[in-house]
Amino acid sequence: MTLRSVKKSIPHILLIGYLIATLYPFLFVLFSSIKSDNQAIASNPFGFPSSFHFENYYEAWVNAKISVYFLNSLYISTLCSIATIIFSSMGAFAITRMRYLKMSKGLYQFILIGLLIPGNALLLPIFIMLNKMEVFGQPILGTHMALILPYTAGAIPFTVIILSAFMRSIPGEIEEASVMDGLSAKGIFAKIILPITVPALVTVFIINFIGNWNEFILANFFISTDELRTLPVGMVGFRDIYNTNYAQMSAGIVFSILPVMIIYAVLQKQIIEGLTAGGVKG
Amino acid sequence: MNKTLRNPWTYVLFLLPLLLLYVMFFIYPMISAFTTGFMKWNGLTEPRFNGLTNFEHAFGDDKFWASVLNNGKFILFSVFVQVPVIIFFSLLISNVKKLKGLYKTAVFIPSVMSTAVIGILWSFIYEPDIGLFNLILTKLGLQPVMWLSDSHWAMFSILITNAWQWTGFYIVMVLAAILAIPKEIDEAAIVDGASAYTRATRITVPLIMPIISVVIMLSIAGAMKAADIIIVMTDGGPGGITDVMATYLIKYGITNAKYGYGNSIGVLIFVFSLILTALYQFLIARRVERVEY
Repeated sequence: MTLRSVKKSIPHILLIGYLIATLYPFLFVLFSSIKSDNQAIASNPFGFPSSFHFENYYEAWVNAKISVYFLNSLYISTLCSIATIIFSSMGAFAITRMRYLKMSKGLYQFILIGLLIPGNALLLPIFIMLNKMEVFGQPILGTHMALILPYTAGAIPFTVIILSAFMRSIPGEIEEASVMDGLSAKGIFAKIILPITVPALVTVFIINFIGNWNEFILANFFISTDELRTLPVGMVGFRDIYNTNYAQMSAGIVFSILPVMIIYAVLQKQIIEGLTAGGVKG
Repeated sequence: MNKTLRNPWTYVLFLLPLLLLYVMFFIYPMISAFTTGFMKWNGLTEPRFNGLTNFEHAFGDDKFWASVLNNGKFILFSVFVQVPVIIFFSLLISNVKKLKGLYKTAVFIPSVMSTAVIGILWSFIYEPDIGLFNLILTKLGLQPVMWLSDSHWAMFSILITNAWQWTGFYIVMVLAAILAIPKEIDEAAIVDGASAYTRATRITVPLIMPIISVVIMLSIAGAMKAADIIIVMTDGGPGGITDVMATYLIKYGITNAKYGYGNSIGVLIFVFSLILTALYQFLIARRVERVEY
């Protein structure tokens, strides 16, 4: 090899190194999840499995209650993401398309403040508030409602910004024509604006779904019954109890990252654009 | 336009659910944190106003300052270690012709995963007996390290995991900015005989300063938000050495039901974040000019 070609291959070597550092932990978990038992993991922790043990998945799914956590996460994430979209799209419609007096601009900025408030500072007040709020004499804290309400509300500022930006770009003549045709404000929203907004709705749905699916702090402190736990919290509990059963724990990890992996594989372009536009974390 | 879209009742109807949730979960808790932060309250007895006592308590508490310092470590590590790495790899990816799409897609994956689950996964890697790092160390004939339970290494281990998770996220942002620079600028420099290093440092990096500024801002905000990774990996241990302000708040506010004191920490998180943002805007962001090509 000439010096020139060595020089040329350096970037690739560095990048492949970075790629391995990024992807290897996932591969490691995937391998561990099909290894025989903990002895095999202990004697051969980082190699390819010598035999395949898919029963780890069954054990994790059924006996370790991953199925319960999985369904809780699926239910809460889906419900909250849909609720956020419904309320935010209605609000964004009023703010961008109705332009009632001069209030709209102020309201938009009022909602923007939400992005500047650090979530951790609100943790305790929300905890206390949900503890005081009752439904049929039962405090909301400790029930799924304690996650559904803050998850739905928490995504509002980001969702309103994205949807407002999208709705603002729709030309105003559309409403004029619709009003001529006798549509009401509700009709314009449901039949004209919403269908046009679908690409943005899909993006915010996915991003909110992933955010809710991954959320840990509220899920850890606002829910105390095992049956009601979400997947990340269930996984941590599982680790703390069975911290020697690496094979089953790995199978559990695969269950908890699989849905997001699949969504990302299919829709990575929307996810990257939406996330980098909103700048959710870091 | 006509009255259909100017009906105040329709306007209110469309906004009401949104505003109700927003006020309930953003504005009211914010106000509540600011008022109860000045009270003595354990959740059982009536809250009692006690002035600045909670804040004095926090400022006199070594463990609180240790947690503030850990947020500081997060910020310093992000800005001085992570950001150069982000810029370096973004430049590399932008310059290669093959596999660009693969690199861009793959490096982003950790940032869509649950931080809690990534914490569990990395606990395997840091495992003292069978973990990857100690396996490598012993192969090299070095002493194994108790990564997460050794007070010298615990915070560092968390910072590494956090950087692993988020570096790719920012690379994609910076990469987008680099790829948006018109090719002619770079081509002209090549014609003038500028080396790859000169082009990167004299042309590309100055042109992407605005996005680097955004990355720094976002990583500071992220450093103030970090909590889940710590709870999962060390739970503040050993002996509170890896606590950040948020986990400290949780320990006092939620676990020990010191609502008044906990909320005063919440107020301090808010104030510190605000000061950081203001300082940043004043010192750095103002000097970074937006470039029009």
